[in-house]
Amino acid sequence: MKIVATDIARSFGSTRALSGVSITLEPGRVHALVGENGAGKSTLLKILAGAERPDTGSIAIDGQPYAPRSLAEATALGVRLVFQEITINPSLTIAENVFSGQLARFRSRGLLNQAAMNRAAQALLDTLAVDVSVAQPLSRLDLGQWKCIEVARALSTEPRAVLFDESTAFLNHREADQLLAAMRALGKRGLVVAFVSHHLAEIAAVADQLTILKDGSKVGDFAAGELDRDGIQSRMVGRDLSRGLYPARPEARLAGAPMLRFIGVTAEGLEPTSLSVTPGEILGIAGLKGAGGERILEIAAGVVRPRSGGVTVGGAPLVAKTPADGWASRIAYLPGERTTEGLIVDASVLDNLVMAKPPRRGPFFDRAKARTMAQAMIARLLIKTSSEKARSGSLSGGNLQKVVLGKCLAIDPRVLLLNNPTRGVDVGARTEIYRSLREAAKEGLAILMVSEDLNELIGLSDRILVMRGQRIAASIDDPAATSEDAIIRHMT
Amino acid sequence: MSSTKPTVTGHSETTQRPADARSRRDDIRRFFPILLLLVLVAVFSLASPRFLQFNNLMIVAQQAVVLLVAALGMTFVIIAGSIDLSVGAIVALAALVAAATAASLGIYAIVPACLIGAAAGLVNGMVVAKGKVPSFIVTLGAMVVYRGIVLFFTRGAPISIDDERFLDLYSGRTAGIPHSVLIAILLIAAAAVMLNLTVFGREVRAIGGGERIALLTGIRVDRVKIAIFVLSGLMCGMAGLLQGARAMAATAQLGEGLELDAIAAVVVGGTPLTGGVGSIQGTILGALIITILSNGMNIVGLDPYFQNIVKGLVLVLSVFVTIDRKKIGIIK
Repeated sequence: MKIVATDIARSFGSTRALSGVSITLEPGRVHALVGENGAGKSTLLKILAGAERPDTGSIAIDGQPYAPRSLAEATALGVRLVFQEITINPSLTIAENVFSGQLARFRSRGLLNQAAMNRAAQALLDTLAVDVSVAQPLSRLDLGQWKCIEVARALSTEPRAVLFDESTAFLNHREADQLLAAMRALGKRGLVVAFVSHHLAEIAAVADQLTILKDGSKVGDFAAGELDRDGIQSRMVGRDLSRGLYPARPEARLAGAPMLRFIGVTAEGLEPTSLSVTPGEILGIAGLKGAGGERILEIAAGVVRPRSGGVTVGGAPLVAKTPADGWASRIAYLPGERTTEGLIVDASVLDNLVMAKPPRRGPFFDRAKARTMAQAMIARLLIKTSSEKARSGSLSGGNLQKVVLGKCLAIDPRVLLLNNPTRGVDVGARTEIYRSLREAAKEGLAILMVSEDLNELIGLSDRILVMRGQRIAASIDDPAATSEDAIIRHMT
Repeated sequence: MSSTKPTVTGHSETTQRPADARSRRDDIRRFFPILLLLVLVAVFSLASPRFLQFNNLMIVAQQAVVLLVAALGMTFVIIAGSIDLSVGAIVALAALVAAATAASLGIYAIVPACLIGAAAGLVNGMVVAKGKVPSFIVTLGAMVVYRGIVLFFTRGAPISIDDERFLDLYSGRTAGIPHSVLIAILLIAAAAVMLNLTVFGREVRAIGGGERIALLTGIRVDRVKIAIFVLSGLMCGMAGLLQGARAMAATAQLGEGLELDAIAAVVVGGTPLTGGVGSIQGTILGALIITILSNGMNIVGLDPYFQNIVKGLVLVLSVFVTIDRKKIGIIK
């Protein structure tokens, strides 16, 4: 199977998502669609998969016209889509998830033949070379394995093309590796495989071919290895990023007493831990999920209470029984899940920006002051929104994350706790977030950042702690001189 | 562990519709309650000349007051994403306390009536917020308990109120306008100010919009929730006082089923049970719709045994039109 799309255009209202994009997907090759948020890569993929229809342009499969009107029609023609979101239903079994929608295939005398279904599901999972047994409960598996179950679901209809819409967005690098391995396996079997990503490491790891999109137009097609990371990145962003994603570290660190200190702190999921962050410092924390990094943030934020040990902020003991106590001590917390923990998507940008500390006159909300505050924060963080009154859900992922960051900075914090501050954020918004963080640090903010993006930890942090087995395994005082491999060695 | 996994959703691509069609639909949604109210008024006044007479309108207003006052508190509860099934029972409890104290306290019986309402709400709120029991269950149990307390003390017999000053103030009229209506207007104003202009009102909306987000942003969710239930109880205290004054007695059956009418009034007014959004104006319209529907059906002489069928259908119809399905992923 060979898919050729020609001159595809698609608009949403007045926004042109795609204009005249052509692409050829060859069997047996893993094809990456690369671009920033809003570049049109997901729209293109959804058109290929039948989830969206193009305004103009045509698609052909092996020379035959192909114009699916729905996902189901595309499936019938052998093209399957794996979504960005998790679509596993945790109350079903693994096999039921694999065959969701087609359980009737395993009907025998009116009942469901569980054994046959489990065998068939196991066979599909085995072709992906993932270590998943259908007998396992879903809750024991990680998100990467969940995603592989979704791939098995796609394979259950025997497709000849599988398209992945930013499917690693919610995965950490170890979980993502399993999914990438599965993609490679599909490519080796001669299927058409295409995926949307803005993760350069992923692209380097699996793509044979890549198409870079920017602002709805194609920048070009490239073979793997033709471009280096900087080359890909500058073509995605459309400007030269050779000066780097990350702002320069200050020549001299701000001297001063520690702003946040942990002294032998223990908690569920954290062995005795001591650390300190000084004003002006960005302390990065690396580690696998559950290694203790997130727990450190949660303790400082008042989400989780320590069992023993002491936490001080600004030299005074911190007693944070609830997150409200943390915020009251001017410790701002940016949680890991943007839309379920960070902000209310149905509320306006203003509502979210001032939520942590609404300006007030007595019991009354000071609307005028809130507007001034929100507008100032929108300007400071370069948040792209029609106005402060816009519904937050209308913003792109990178701009949503800027709103969450703005909410934190709006309280004029002493300590800023960040959990994966740029997850699912494109390169352009990323550089702006990094710049804002460095500027805030220069003004004396102490920043503690947990991240699964090792590149980001190395590029932005002044110091890195590596967590392993719920304790600090290593401390790296000169991140500029370290490498991702060196950090991974400490982590595992 | 579930906290580390993103919410499980299908793909939720919103289908694009031409902008004008969408805004027209939004307009219908927004203005449906007032349209419905106008249609009801038009239909009933055409069917019976008595309907629009000043006297009947005052009766409607008086009938609406108890429901409306209870629904004001319910609006806060529902916007915060909770529910309060105990309002009917708290109304009965407050009426009982008012009746029992009116002889000795006269007009000041309002104080114990409101206190008992607030106390009942406080208990609800504490169990919901601190005990982490869903509000549906807590207030379902509370409904039975509070009603049981009323039954226990009254032994099923009505307690009459005959203190003249009390009855004059709470169920009398000035220039033909019932005092209860004036009191309700004050309470409406207070509720509207609280919901729209205070930090508390914003916190209520934030909790309904996303409780975990609100918590992680430093809102003291427990305190706000308790305050919401106290507010609901307080409103029920006032509703019980007014209902007792109007009936000149407290009975064990007083306010039965009021919780469902109050929920219906809030929802018909356009406040979804999923929380996060809602308005006092909507609740006023909702309470008027429900009251006018009952009153009008009586006035035009509709078979009383048929009336409930109409009432239920109107409730579902109005939610069918007003609900914003774009914003609610899953309809339970």
